[in-house]
Amino acid sequence: MEWVRFVAAVICLLFAAVMEAIAVYGVYKFGFVMNRMHAAAIGDTLALLLGALGLIILKGFSWFSLKMALVVVLLWLTSSISSHVIMRMEHSIDEESIDLDTIKM
Amino acid sequence: MKKRSDYRSTFYSRIENFVNGRDEFLLYRPQGDLEAKQLESLEEELTEAADLLEKKEAQQRVQDMTEPLDFLKKFHKLYGMIAAIICAMLMLLLLVTVSWLPPFGHPDNPADNEVIKRYIENGQQETGAVNIVTGLILNYRGFDTMGETHVLFIAASCVMILLLIAEGEEKKSSYAFDRYMEPKNDIIIQKVANFLVPVVFVFGIYVILNGHLSPGGGFSGGAILGAGMILHVSAFGFKKTEKFFNEHVYKVAKVSALCFYVSCLSYYFYMGAHGLDNHIPLGTPGNIISSGLILLINIFVGTEVACTMYAFYALFRKGGL
Repeated sequence: MEWVRFVAAVICLLFAAVMEAIAVYGVYKFGFVMNRMHAAAIGDTLALLLGALGLIILKGFSWFSLKMALVVVLLWLTSSISSHVIMRMEHSIDEESIDLDTIKM
Repeated sequence: MKKRSDYRSTFYSRIENFVNGRDEFLLYRPQGDLEAKQLESLEEELTEAADLLEKKEAQQRVQDMTEPLDFLKKFHKLYGMIAAIICAMLMLLLLVTVSWLPPFGHPDNPADNEVIKRYIENGQQETGAVNIVTGLILNYRGFDTMGETHVLFIAASCVMILLLIAEGEEKKSSYAFDRYMEPKNDIIIQKVANFLVPVVFVFGIYVILNGHLSPGGGFSGGAILGAGMILHVSAFGFKKTEKFFNEHVYKVAKVSALCFYVSCLSYYFYMGAHGLDNHIPLGTPGNIISSGLILLINIFVGTEVACTMYAFYALFRKGGL
């Protein structure tokens, strides 16, 4: 039972690392702001959730895991809100952002 | 707050002018500004003409530079090479230095002297704080921390001198052009701020009040409180924030916090300098009300830091609180 938990935790953490790597790659690959934001959001949401989940599984259910869950909830709230605000700013400032031709890889 | 032009017509300014020999004492009349205004308008016209000439010359120079020069290319290559060499040398130097550092946690390290021993062994009895770091920075090294708090105060004052808008019309326009490009009254950020701002405030107050029991203290808790206020401003705008935090509240809170902090510390200094006993009860370590003046000092430092953070944000965004 112990090693099943360990393997599950390691799989979660590895997936989190892979997702974070994809997010970083995307942020540097894309040129347009909204594409980059989409790539960065992968790291902010899925990688964060998987990393916290892996740590919770590794440590077992306790106050520690509750605090980790709280961290995930707060970061999901704040990071998504901040990217929403940046996007609205970009949309209202950039005159070309509505033009679909500018959205390129 | 008084502007310079208000000050110019007061009695004391006339005395000052008279003392400095700039103006007649009793013959000062504000109507004399008319000639000065005409002179100013003439000067403005002259400077505008000069600006136009400069712009034309600059444009010509830019057009000349559109074809890349040969030596510029060489310079860029040389610049990159020298930069890379300097970076590599610096990295090597730092790595060599790090390899000569003593190992972490070794008992023979120069950092492990009698001072550290004293803090760890007697710190809790002498300061009453469970968190040794807070007891250290607010009690043993209180003078240093007082200087830091004054630095915050002076920094906020300097930013005010540079950026504060005191004029009537400009102040109105600063309200109007605040968030000129920004989307106003975003419903999503407002709903989330409704939930988050109280949580952030409660957490900041907890960190300040628990500074002597757990990691935290005035500086970190004050930063959290300031961040909560900044979130409130960016969600709801200045009009709603000014209902509970405006310039008057800022002045009173900041100055009184600094004064009470200095008076608390001068009690310590006076008692220590005269070899007198500290008559403030330390209480049982672990309770909220314990450790003498550290709790009070934490609250004052927290107020100071929160006010400074919010003032920086408001001054850089709008030019006023």
